[in-house]
Amino acid sequence: MIIFKQWRLWVSLLLLIGSYILIKPNFESQTSDSKINFGLDIQGGFSYLLELNEEEYLNNLLVKTSQYIENTYSISSDIDNGEIVISKNQNLDALTNIVIQNLGLEINEKSDKENSYIFSKQSFNKSLSDMTLNAVEIVRSRVDFLGNKELSIQKVGLNKILLEIPGDLDNNVKEVISKTAKLTLHLEKNNIVGSKTFINEETGEQVRVQEIPNITGDFIQDASLQYNQNEPVVAFSFNKEGSDLFAKMTSENVGSRFAIVLDGSLITAPVIRESITGGSGQISGGFTNETANNLAIILKSGSLPTKIKIIQEKQIGPTLGQEGVEKGVIASIIALIAITLFMIIYYRISGFFTVITIISCLSLLFAMMSLLNTTLTLPGVIGIVLTIGMCVDANVLIFERIRENFKHNIEDPKNHGFNSAYVTILDSNLTTLFAAIFLFAFGFGPIRGFSISLIIGIISSLIVTYIILKLFINITSIKYLGLQR
Amino acid sequence: MINFYSFKNKSYLVSLTLIILTIIIIFIKGLNLGIDFKGGLNFEVKSNLTTNQLNEYFDFIDSDREVLIKREVGSDVFSIRIESGDNNPVFIEEIKNIIDQNPDIEILLSEYIEPTFSEELIKNSIYALASSLLVIAVYVWIRFDWQFAASGIFALLHDVFVAIGFMSLFNIEFNLTMIAALLLIAGYSINDTIVLFDRLRSLTSNEENKDNFETNVNNSIKLNLRRTILTSFTTILALLCLVFLAPVNLTEMPIVFIFGVLIGTFSSLFLVLGIVGDLNYEAVLKARDS
Repeated sequence: MIIFKQWRLWVSLLLLIGSYILIKPNFESQTSDSKINFGLDIQGGFSYLLELNEEEYLNNLLVKTSQYIENTYSISSDIDNGEIVISKNQNLDALTNIVIQNLGLEINEKSDKENSYIFSKQSFNKSLSDMTLNAVEIVRSRVDFLGNKELSIQKVGLNKILLEIPGDLDNNVKEVISKTAKLTLHLEKNNIVGSKTFINEETGEQVRVQEIPNITGDFIQDASLQYNQNEPVVAFSFNKEGSDLFAKMTSENVGSRFAIVLDGSLITAPVIRESITGGSGQISGGFTNETANNLAIILKSGSLPTKIKIIQEKQIGPTLGQEGVEKGVIASIIALIAITLFMIIYYRISGFFTVITIISCLSLLFAMMSLLNTTLTLPGVIGIVLTIGMCVDANVLIFERIRENFKHNIEDPKNHGFNSAYVTILDSNLTTLFAAIFLFAFGFGPIRGFSISLIIGIISSLIVTYIILKLFINITSIKYLGLQR
Repeated sequence: MINFYSFKNKSYLVSLTLIILTIIIIFIKGLNLGIDFKGGLNFEVKSNLTTNQLNEYFDFIDSDREVLIKREVGSDVFSIRIESGDNNPVFIEEIKNIIDQNPDIEILLSEYIEPTFSEELIKNSIYALASSLLVIAVYVWIRFDWQFAASGIFALLHDVFVAIGFMSLFNIEFNLTMIAALLLIAGYSINDTIVLFDRLRSLTSNEENKDNFETNVNNSIKLNLRRTILTSFTTILALLCLVFLAPVNLTEMPIVFIFGVLIGTFSSLFLVLGIVGDLNYEAVLKARDS
């Protein structure tokens, strides 16, 4: 049999078996890293795009750097409009170019009296991006504590976080993710200098305390919802370092008040009755079960580096997604049948080859998508339909070329026709492929979903036409391929 | 046999008319920018109320926020777009709560985008479009001659631009998904064009018939005519299935794409090779000979 001499036969079998193995996990219940995920527009769910405040981060970083320069090199500096200004009336020998570079700074302006420095764009972006990665972990742990397990969370750009939660949502998510949760403890201070008044927005209670916090929430190890005389309260415990600080603060200031401040507003200002050495405490103050639980979760997860803003929010109800999938699948099947019938009527036996090529192309596409753990979205489905179109186009180009060669008595019409058509197919598909790759790199949201399935689809179509379609052409007599002479 | 090359001046006229019409339509009607590019709130709701009843229902929203309610063609689904304002995260919850209390309205989708972010999305989409067009131009330039690259890119921009005019005319919402649709049209257009370029190149390099440029152009089109029609036909067939069966908020994309396929077929049959000829490609071929 001539067919067994074809290397394409063995490669085709390998491709199909490989695809089968890769697609199989999608139909099994256990979770696997090589499965196709469905986008929120298909399975329904919530998506939030969070943006960390770049300006606030820059200010924090400037303050930190300025303090570091002061502590390490005893050089004082001022912060002015995004710059660190260092006056020249002090010994600046320690501030070598290497030190400045290591701090990520570069000189902005030089004058007789002072030098001003700004962060180099590269070092600031790196630092901003690291901060965002850190924030991703904090947001993840907050949402995890709420019990949402199948969430997907990723950094987007330099300072954005995309959070996607399939299915029904606990409404607290928005509440929990958008709080910075900077918890600070301040001792009461009646002096105007270095003090600040914090106000409880609900009760109107206010207290004047020292501005720089005595203890911050960074030392908190654990927090939970508890009940004190049937009132929900948030119980927290400090780590070792925090416990020591807390013990010192409470033992030295028995009888005075201290303020517990969250994100700049006063929660409560209890009086210290005795020194607290156990390193744990309670926050009470008009909580409901829900708000106390939310606060406990936020405190446990740590504070976010800056304020967070939800810049995009999307909620897709399960009906729309399901309807989308059902309709999409029906549409694709009907489209497939329509094209198939048309191709069989028009090309007869070659039409059958097209059907097999399309099916192989789709299985290779789904196999690659599973392997890469791709997320399939509705625009992605449209990308797949386009892929089928391109695959059919490749078939048409090849069949037409073979017919034409046969008609004009060109030698070896099958191979010659296939090869010249394949050059055209390569040219046109590669152009689209390169465009799709750039789209993927620059695009966002639906554009990405669309371009990823287009990229994978074009590659599968090129492979399948070269291997499987050519196999069928090779083993079929030119009589059937050329049809009428 | 049809002499496609002789039509080229008439085709230029048609194409010029289309471009001018597009400019006029966009100038008069503007683009119906969705919240992706304008920011704001968007709801897709299912309801058996009429558009007027829904309009009355949403009367409570401050008059400084513009509210647009549109019924999706042939369904009981409405798209409600509300202009962005202060504190969108809280506002969207309020609206959701109010709608949830009405048994006649079911929320299918709700979203909002901050205007600052939509500005970023516009920039982002322009980068994506521009870079992929550039890549196409460079690739065609490397594989063919510059006349082909210029003509191919012209046809592609022409098709995409006229499709934008089509969207403006029928008030189709311009959003990120539509950017994907425009890129589809760009991809389809260049695909069609390159198939012809390949033919023309192989015909003009053939010793026997390389001298008559006009005949070569006509032959390239004629030999590919069946393929062009078949492919356009099967693509439109598949897209029609999507039009009737896609989820309501995605039906406009295949409609725009069908228009794109038609306009793309026109430009590849009647425009591109004419432009290559008028860019004096014959001279290039002659120079190569001597």
